[in-house]
Amino acid sequence: MFRRLLIANRGEIAVRIIRACRELGIESVAVYSDADARAPHVALADRALRIGPPPPLQSYLAVEAVLGAARESGADAVHPGYGFLAENARFAAACVEAGLVFVGPPAAVIARLGSKIAARQVAAEAGIPVVPGAIPADQRDETIALAARRVGFPVLIKPAEGGGGIGMKAVHDEATLGAATAQARREATAAFGDGTLYVERLIERPRHVELQVLVDHDGRVVHLFERECSLQRRHQKIVEESPSTALTPRLRARMGEAAVALARAPAYRNAGTVEFLLDGAGDDARFYFLEMNTRLQVEHPVTEQVTGIDIVQAQIAIAAGEPLPWSQDEITQRGHAIEVRVYAEDPAHNDLPQAGPLLLYREPTLPGVRIDSGVVEGGDIPVQYDPLIAKLVAWADTREAARRRALAALRTCPILGVKTNIPFLIALLEHPRVVAGAIDTGLVNEERRALLDRSTGDPPPEAVAVAMAASDAPQTRPAPHGAVDPWVRLRGWRG
Amino acid sequence: MADRPCDITDLGNGRYRVSDAARQRLAHAAGPPEARWVFLDGRVYVIDTRGPAPAAAGARGRAHDDEMALASPMPATVAAIHVTVGQTVAQGDLLVMLEAMKMELPITAPRDGRVRVVRCAPGELVQPGVALVELE
Repeated sequence: MFRRLLIANRGEIAVRIIRACRELGIESVAVYSDADARAPHVALADRALRIGPPPPLQSYLAVEAVLGAARESGADAVHPGYGFLAENARFAAACVEAGLVFVGPPAAVIARLGSKIAARQVAAEAGIPVVPGAIPADQRDETIALAARRVGFPVLIKPAEGGGGIGMKAVHDEATLGAATAQARREATAAFGDGTLYVERLIERPRHVELQVLVDHDGRVVHLFERECSLQRRHQKIVEESPSTALTPRLRARMGEAAVALARAPAYRNAGTVEFLLDGAGDDARFYFLEMNTRLQVEHPVTEQVTGIDIVQAQIAIAAGEPLPWSQDEITQRGHAIEVRVYAEDPAHNDLPQAGPLLLYREPTLPGVRIDSGVVEGGDIPVQYDPLIAKLVAWADTREAARRRALAALRTCPILGVKTNIPFLIALLEHPRVVAGAIDTGLVNEERRALLDRSTGDPPPEAVAVAMAASDAPQTRPAPHGAVDPWVRLRGWRG
Repeated sequence: MADRPCDITDLGNGRYRVSDAARQRLAHAAGPPEARWVFLDGRVYVIDTRGPAPAAAGARGRAHDDEMALASPMPATVAAIHVTVGQTVAQGDLLVMLEAMKMELPITAPRDGRVRVVRCAPGELVQPGVALVELE
């Protein structure tokens, strides 16, 4: 096992990985930009090193700075978390060259699966259905239009690199294709430094269902069942659950076999997620390979809660060369888990990210509720990074019990000083189609107006009375930085 | 909405008990008097407590709504300006395209009107809360 592990990330996922290190008896090394000098992940780690100014390109994305910190701290392994350098093959290779173990698959596998075009070929060769699509021979507008006509409208224009829905455009007819292509190219270039586009048939009303896999260094593969991630806004997930209401035991077995086959194909190693589009539900549903994410997922906790397996610890053990300790039939899916992502964003204004001070931040502590977060009261949500504040995961014996538990937790999670999507998430979890489990990836956008109507509005007299009473009391001051022990704040976290 | 009588008890540390004849609830509040944040029953309100008739942040009349709608919600770069002074625009028309956090952020007309002033230039870094365009 490793002696010292550097976490090349920030926020809740850095805190999550530090926790795994602590339980495994590994020293944790945090890195931080100037914007995060007082962030909880910095306080919690056994050691923390500054890597640069706030812009990600000069800190969390700066390969040399991160490797320099690894050298200086004497780390023997690097965990990239998700986002930032997690799917950067050059970084994975540079770690190995520097004598560090990269907690993830080999650089060549990251490169191959990171390109949607190459990943489709891997899937097709493994006999896994893929969504009809076309790789434009070159990237001229006319060639992309030709590819779109051949695939057949409606189509999805996607960046060949990257993920997270950035730069993805749905196009329903030829008239709007030119503008969508130009915009997708600009966004892809800005986000990933590569404007290469790819055209694929748009499957209407699909579900997004993904399978978690783990592969050890002897090539043994297991899957940890599915995560249902259909509740998305602007192609980004906001609620995830396991199991999916669309899967029957037979469909689950078929999708599990497909995920395992895909992980075998490119000599995959470590944790990965195979994403599928699901057309229909039940035994007759069709599924199509979407992409494989070669890293830990944001929503990994729902799988941890239903399987009892700590995925981050498994990643570290696999990277250290340990064999998987379970066979496929020893892994079970028990109960139901629902994760909601609490973002600093304004659902009433296109989900625009918000930044600012957390004047008041109190996490609920309830049985059956796990909070993964990387912020404290008195801290800030910086403008430079992803505005995820916390992940709230509720689990129970049934889906309905887990849903009610998530609602109870959201209603007792006051966050003041920045706008969050908590009221919107409450309305979403109360929506009849969500209650019934009849969801697809279009639901949030179609129901946005109704969800906003239920989650915004003038304050009731009681809220005004509280505001007036508060003005007469001494001003509530955020706790000074460092005065709050982050471990105390993270009490509800292990469940 | 009819005013219901309720008692507010300061429990300290930003916590308040709201009780009326029927039940009691826990609320949280923080922030300065002009923008006091209140959390109650899973909803959040930003309330200006200074005026004689406190109102929600979202209910302050057209000028304020315009200002909010026509401002960048966050620090951003102006990618392109799609209107000129004097141009008539309809509700929903694209006025300015911003870029921030790897995303394009469209600023659209909150209502029909005519462009009075354009207060930004392509490439400029703009801050939240300042109207980028004014409508007549």
